[in-house]
Amino acid sequence: MARVLIVDDAAFMRMAIKNMLLNHGYEVAGEAENGLAAVKKYMECKPDIVTLDITMPEMNGLEALKAIMKIDPKAKVVMVSAMGQENMVKEAILSGAKSFIIKPFKEDHVIKTLQKIL
Amino acid sequence: MADKFINDSMLEVYVFETLQNIEQLENAVLESEKTGRYSAAAINEVFRIMHTIKGSSAMMMLDNLAELAHKMEDLFYYIRETQPKQVDYAALSDLVLSGIDFIQAELKKIQNKEPANGDVSDLLAAITAFLEHLKAANGDFKQEQNTLPAQPAAGGGQAAQPAGKLAAYEAVLYYEEGCEMENIRAYGVIHNLQEMVEDLYYRPADILENDETAAYIREHGFTVGVLTARPAEEMRRFFEDVLFLEKLEFRELDAATFTARKSGAATGRAQVKAATAEFGENEEKSGAQKAAAVATAGQGMISVNVAKLDKLMDLVGEMVIAEAMVVQNPDLAGLELENFRQAARQLHKITSEIQDLVMSVRMVPLANTFLKMQRIVRDMSKKLQKEVKLQLIDEDTEVDKNIIEHISDPLMHLIRNAVDHGLETAEERLAAGKDKTGTVVLEARNVGNHVLIMVRDDGRGLDKEKILRRAEKNNILTKPAEEMTEKEIFQLIFLPGFSTSEQITEYSGRGVGMDVVAKNLEKVGGSVSVDSVSGQGTTLTLKLPLTMAIIEGMNLTVGRARYTIPISAIKESVRLENHKLIKDTDGNEMLLVRGECYPIIRLHEFFKIPTEVTNLEDGIFILVDYEDKPFCLFVDDLLGQQEVVVKALPRYIQNKRIRGIGGCTLLGDGSISLILDVSGFVA
Repeated sequence: MARVLIVDDAAFMRMAIKNMLLNHGYEVAGEAENGLAAVKKYMECKPDIVTLDITMPEMNGLEALKAIMKIDPKAKVVMVSAMGQENMVKEAILSGAKSFIIKPFKEDHVIKTLQKIL
Repeated sequence: MADKFINDSMLEVYVFETLQNIEQLENAVLESEKTGRYSAAAINEVFRIMHTIKGSSAMMMLDNLAELAHKMEDLFYYIRETQPKQVDYAALSDLVLSGIDFIQAELKKIQNKEPANGDVSDLLAAITAFLEHLKAANGDFKQEQNTLPAQPAAGGGQAAQPAGKLAAYEAVLYYEEGCEMENIRAYGVIHNLQEMVEDLYYRPADILENDETAAYIREHGFTVGVLTARPAEEMRRFFEDVLFLEKLEFRELDAATFTARKSGAATGRAQVKAATAEFGENEEKSGAQKAAAVATAGQGMISVNVAKLDKLMDLVGEMVIAEAMVVQNPDLAGLELENFRQAARQLHKITSEIQDLVMSVRMVPLANTFLKMQRIVRDMSKKLQKEVKLQLIDEDTEVDKNIIEHISDPLMHLIRNAVDHGLETAEERLAAGKDKTGTVVLEARNVGNHVLIMVRDDGRGLDKEKILRRAEKNNILTKPAEEMTEKEIFQLIFLPGFSTSEQITEYSGRGVGMDVVAKNLEKVGGSVSVDSVSGQGTTLTLKLPLTMAIIEGMNLTVGRARYTIPISAIKESVRLENHKLIKDTDGNEMLLVRGECYPIIRLHEFFKIPTEVTNLEDGIFILVDYEDKPFCLFVDDLLGQQEVVVKALPRYIQNKRIRGIGGCTLLGDGSISLILDVSGFVA
């Protein structure tokens, strides 16, 4: 089953996504709580897909996305955004993000988005 | 929330993390307030934290919290983006702090399993008003400054390229309800189409610049026309694969219609390319950041549930007892067991190392507790219009987690007292030749097995006369006023039913007196004392044990009963031999050791235990110096020194409030020993 790297600065959000993924047989390849850690983790665990929060300390999701795409142009990254971050999401799509989910997200929404991209 | 991914542990994490977030937020605000302005980093931090709280709260369906965080986020977004010149930072801090208070109150409700349904509308209105005011004073700005380039003229250059076997198609995409940001989803489609088509157009054309188009697409669908060499089936499949697609209309167009519609749609591929190029630049920059990313090591910390640590601590305690049971097993008495003793020593070394480690894991710095006091001082100094500076010294001193939990309230009380009653008003201070800003110092210090926390103010000091008058009125004097030392008079304020303040204010004097502070500290084996110089200030000193789980104790016997007395309480133990017995005028027995008198408390009389050792020459005296009140306990015999695990007394005994007993423990041979509480003998 697909291995997912979950990136979010809020442990709560990571847990929410993790629970959803585990409910559907996904494997959690790793977790990271900021952009820097995400890039590092990406190289370490080579996940099939990344869920990437946008607003984070250290290095935000957009910067992390760009770094990940540099390392692996085939990377499959789904942005986790909130309403009101339209511009960031646009930039992310231009930078290679495959899709996005919007907080507060629903389980079926998340799973559907991931399934489509894999 | 009906979703099955939400469970109790999610709620726990939510509450824990949000509490942490608002604590961080509060510190950021208080820090900024000190400097009088918010740095870019502070604004960004507030924004980010509010963003996080908004997201998590929305997931938990806590709409009022999500809404509040959202409004705050908006406010700080405005400040961050426009960097307004005129900001009433004091009012801004008040606003954020009251937001923090609201969130805190709601989280408390959640923890108590009550519905978190506080009314947030007043706060929202206040934030909106503040934002409006800010905008009016600094000029409005476009809510989202679009970083994307202006839309270029229609008609991409590539359209003129040899058409070959090109065919034109038009697709209308309808998205599922509630998938949100339809315009950006549509944009994603256009982005992915680039590689597949020679030319394209789409309606609405301004999906990138105008987020209102999301609503339009929801209603009327998103229309894309493409000119491509790929077969119709492939194109149809591409569109069908679009995420959250509810309905697709797909038809073939002739070349003329395509061209006509394209100029009508007034957009082209060039725009997509231009936009992509723009962000390409940023991509270069992030390359360098990537390198930095790789260099930084990951964090080596994990969070652990305190309940697990408590359990671990318990188990280590049991292990210490078990070790004693083995090593001091009565079956071993009188045996020469060299190898066994050697192994036992090794076991002891390891158990004590584990014990130290577990203790150190449970130790937390006082900093968080101290920082909380900043907020109290700030709020009070505003309300009471006194200028107060809170100074923290050695706040990174560590104390057992259990103890920290018990001192927050007493400390808060002392700080309130210091600011409210201790410090004078600015006029009084100036008249007395002091700086008009009062100072409260909160200091921690490690002393042996104890931590001292001092709350010191440079205010008016305690009024001896007033204390005496109040004590007389309330009938709590234990001896004639003339005979009392200064220290004894000050100590009166810790007696139940004592409150020095004439007028009751909002902050202190709500009927909760210093006696409650003293009681709370006693619960964790601590104590409080006071020192004061008239006109120069007051110092309250809290004395806390580093931990209350394991103590070094001296085991002793009285008749058939066993007792344990904390080593830290023992000054020395002596036999009568060379020392003199005297009697005071009331006939009380005293022991004279090196010129000092120790009143004798016979433990067998105190606890009414039959024993054969009643002759003072046969037993042994334990000299105790409790808060400058020396006395000695007369016991039958000492059994030896040992580390003991403190267990609470069973509830039915606790309720009887037996003086002189603080807890119990198990000895190596499995017998129960009562732990003596020396403060109980002098009260």
